[in-house]
Amino acid sequence: MSKILIVEDDKKLREELGIFLKKNGYEIEILEKFEDTINDILKIKADLILLDINLPNLDGEYICKELRKVSNVPVIIITSRESEIDEIISLNYGADQYVTKPFNIHILLAKIASLLRRTKDLSYVQDKIDCKKFILNTSQSKIEKDDVQIELTKNELKILHFLVLNRGRIVSRDKIMNYLWDSESFVDENTLSVNIKRLRDKMEEINLKSLIETKRGQGYILK
Amino acid sequence: MSFLNFLKEKVSYLVSIIFLQITIAIFLMPYNVNKVIIMYIIFVPIIITMLMFFLEYNKKKNFYNSVDSKLSELNEKYLLSEVIDVPSFLEAEKLEEYISELGISMIENVNKYKFSQNEYKEYIEMWIHEIKIPISVVKLIIENNRNEVTKSIEEEIDKIENFIEQALYYARSSNVEKDYSIKKVSLKDMVNISIKRNKNVLIQSDININVHDLDNIVYTDSKWIIFIINQIIQNCIKYSKDINRQIEIYSKELKQRVELYIIDNGIGIDISDLPRVFDKGFTGKNGRIISKKSTGIGLYLCKKLCDKLGIDIEITSKINENTCVTLKFPKGTHLSL
Repeated sequence: MSKILIVEDDKKLREELGIFLKKNGYEIEILEKFEDTINDILKIKADLILLDINLPNLDGEYICKELRKVSNVPVIIITSRESEIDEIISLNYGADQYVTKPFNIHILLAKIASLLRRTKDLSYVQDKIDCKKFILNTSQSKIEKDDVQIELTKNELKILHFLVLNRGRIVSRDKIMNYLWDSESFVDENTLSVNIKRLRDKMEEINLKSLIETKRGQGYILK
Repeated sequence: MSFLNFLKEKVSYLVSIIFLQITIAIFLMPYNVNKVIIMYIIFVPIIITMLMFFLEYNKKKNFYNSVDSKLSELNEKYLLSEVIDVPSFLEAEKLEEYISELGISMIENVNKYKFSQNEYKEYIEMWIHEIKIPISVVKLIIENNRNEVTKSIEEEIDKIENFIEQALYYARSSNVEKDYSIKKVSLKDMVNISIKRNKNVLIQSDININVHDLDNIVYTDSKWIIFIINQIIQNCIKYSKDINRQIEIYSKELKQRVELYIIDNGIGIDISDLPRVFDKGFTGKNGRIISKKSTGIGLYLCKKLCDKLGIDIEITSKINENTCVTLKFPKGTHLSL
């Protein structure tokens, strides 16, 4: 499990952010005091640091610069300043990403995931996901089972991919919708229903129809 | 100022000279003085006076002409005293003193307002940074406690965010010059970001989004354009009808420019309101009758920012059918900014 350190002076913000990241499967450390900030950060040995710019005693940009002298840990700057100058300064001081408040939490999550993926294992690119009963080929947008291949449309791929990522959990239509919109497929309720029906039809062709189950009033689940 | 007008002002002086000279001539008559001498006594002082008048007129005319031309060249007229020459006659010297003092007091006054406006703007910007923190916290709390209640709160928070954004851009709009950077940007990226920003309310209102043909590149400031598209999309949502809601967005490349169309099938805008939709504070029939809480600020800001970015913005509409907002981006890298 990757350890993320939150350096943020707003108590509630850091706590809620901590809860959210914990829910999404990360180990969380929260810095509570800002007296010897740089040494405290280094002691914790996090895999990734979320760093606020406006901190008591020290400037986040300065911390970033000092950290870079001794460590290569990925740093995401979180700030309410949104000017390009601030962004350039932060990136020049060695920050890896720059997120402005109020941030889209899912984008932050995606940035964390991609930074961790890159720093932990450079060769890790998963374009074939083994789902036991079938293989989802994300780079070619196909389902593969034994020797049969079925092509998926863009939306079908996204939906199935999302279900695969949340396998064994109920996924609400809302969540699927949000995921699709975040990845720039602006579908409406009807389209979503149609897409799911088509996806099921395609899975039926390879006898996997019952794999996507509808939970009435709650959403879908991939078994 | 013509010479004749100038003389009119001096007429009493002239009349008294003539009167005086004639009186002297009359007194001289009984002493049998040569007529030539009498004529001389009458006319020479008059001619000399006229000559002096003419010289004085010339001097004044030159001075006032130079003031006139400098005044017409000046943008800020109250700075006049800084540029006029020192006049060579007494009354103008006094006048120049007055003008320069007026100018100084005016500059002080203008600076006072500039300063207080700037302070206010800085305060607004600071306030906006501050308020982003509680908003982030609320959004995280919502994310950590997903249910029907928080979902509804989230929609309202989104609205608050939009209003805050509007305030920020309003505060900045008076001097956009310092605030933007022109880059090569993709229309598709900007449209997608704007749609994603309004994701919650768009999904909630079940609005069909039809985005196509957006592969054009334009040279502009992406932050401003995203804000503008954002405002337009919010209008589409605000003034939508109850069923079959749709927003269509696409772009077209023409010879001279790239045009971006944002079309909704909402309630439309009355033809008599159309020419004024960009006016500040104008809410029109839709704002009054349908009471959609119009502020009359959104489109005003759009227009103002478009003007500064060298983009044409146009609205056409058929009542109860559709509204189409067109953004016309000039082509190429050279903008007349």
